[in-house]
Amino acid sequence: MAAADSPSAALRRRDLCSRGIRLAGKMRADVVDLLDAYVEQQGLDASASVAAVEGVPLAAVERWDEQTGTQRLLENLAAYRAFRALLAQMLEEQREQLGEADAGLGRALAAVLLQVSAFAYHLEELLRLESRGIPGEEGDGPPPPPRLSLFEQKLRGLGVLRELAQWAVRSGRDLRQLAKPSPANGAAPGLAESP
Amino acid sequence: DSHIQYERVGADVTMKCGSMDWDAAVTWTANGTDIDESHLNGSYLILKNVDLSQSGQYSCYEGSSWHLKYQTNLRVGMPPKEPVLMCRSNNYPKGFYCSWHLPTPTYIPNTFNISVIHGTKDMVCEKDAVPKNRCHIRYLQLFSTVKYKVTLTVTNALGKNFTTLTFDEFAIVKPDPPESVVAKPVPNNPRRLEVSWQNPSSWPDPESFPLKFFLRYRPLILDQWQHVELSDGTSHTITDAYAGKEYIIQVAAKDNDIGTWSDWSVAVHATPWTEEPKHLTTEAQITETTSASTSSFMAPPTTKICDKGAVVGSGAMAVCWTAGLVVAAYSVLFI
Repeated sequence: MAAADSPSAALRRRDLCSRGIRLAGKMRADVVDLLDAYVEQQGLDASASVAAVEGVPLAAVERWDEQTGTQRLLENLAAYRAFRALLAQMLEEQREQLGEADAGLGRALAAVLLQVSAFAYHLEELLRLESRGIPGEEGDGPPPPPRLSLFEQKLRGLGVLRELAQWAVRSGRDLRQLAKPSPANGAAPGLAESP
Repeated sequence: DSHIQYERVGADVTMKCGSMDWDAAVTWTANGTDIDESHLNGSYLILKNVDLSQSGQYSCYEGSSWHLKYQTNLRVGMPPKEPVLMCRSNNYPKGFYCSWHLPTPTYIPNTFNISVIHGTKDMVCEKDAVPKNRCHIRYLQLFSTVKYKVTLTVTNALGKNFTTLTFDEFAIVKPDPPESVVAKPVPNNPRRLEVSWQNPSSWPDPESFPLKFFLRYRPLILDQWQHVELSDGTSHTITDAYAGKEYIIQVAAKDNDIGTWSDWSVAVHATPWTEEPKHLTTEAQITETTSASTSSFMAPPTTKICDKGAVVGSGAMAVCWTAGLVVAAYSVLFI
């Protein structure tokens, strides 16, 4: 625990956080572009409401300002690991549906998948710095959901990308909180409360 | 027995004199003034196609005794049109506020009721004391993709109307404009202006939720703005100002990641530094005692006018000579 508080660790944390913030920003921009392309290619209504889909990590959080640094990192890591699997599944479905017909969308999906993987790795680095154990990935996760219809796949894809875009914004905010000097080991400073 | 009676503009109004029979002899007054009998049908008062000016206190008196038999406060007005509703978060991530108004007045009292739903959850929008047509909500969740639905209903005695806004958390984020914008000349730099500003005080946590800025500036004599977008910092040096020209400068702010740009800040004016005039040795033989209190409007000595920054266009020599005469003319005025 002492190592996590050393000056060099603090510098390393700030450096990782800064790079992470830039990664998250780039990822968000690319996800937003991908979302626009996805909606158009899949013939969806951009304003369609999509019910929360099982397995898609929700970015929505209560009492965000009260979270500790470790909580932020763990929640982010769990989310991006889930997105990695979801995007891989979307890519597979895309290839099955369209083959080579829509290589552009497939490439954009693959590029975002790469960024998601890189970001997950980045989060693991930050957790190591906090001297926290990296939670293991639970094998293949929950059993695969029943096969969805083509339309259901498209809607789920919309939900995945929307939620990922939210997470990219949240991750940037989480890392800024993490980069602030912390008053105690593992405790993240809360936002100044004002009415 | 006095009460309030609301009627729509253009309506025909019939007032009965309380429990008096139709054929009773009565006198009606409006705001204390007798009403002509031509408006009566028996003891009933008939007002056709009422307008706003006919609002007031109507009283009915028994013919012979002048006992007050009935009194009503007639308020002529209109049912509400669809209200105009706006919601905005200028203090993200704390919460947002909604404000509203009617596009046209109703001339009678209105009641506003606002409901806010986030998914399936009802939220309470706490009304502000000032201004009255505003309420605010604290965010319970952040980073949600679920939209907010705000419905405003306006009701008065003559009808009701409503409007609904649906939006997501990020879309309504719009900071207040930057504050304390200051623009200053830079000594010995005729083409520079140093601009600084502060984050809007309503933005609660600029460290975690940094703002980016947009600066625009132009000389007063031109219509076209120059624009600069700044991703961090609260200052900027303009380096391409026209020498000696007064500039107007404004700044806007936006969250780095979400929402929309603020309105422009209050405009500030500044003129780049110009050199103090040295001892003049023109053919007009102006004395050294010439006042130079408005140095920013005094052209520098003839040779200096020919600096790149001060001369626009070709024909520099001719401009220099002409400027020398102008200097002479101004100097004569100040003696």
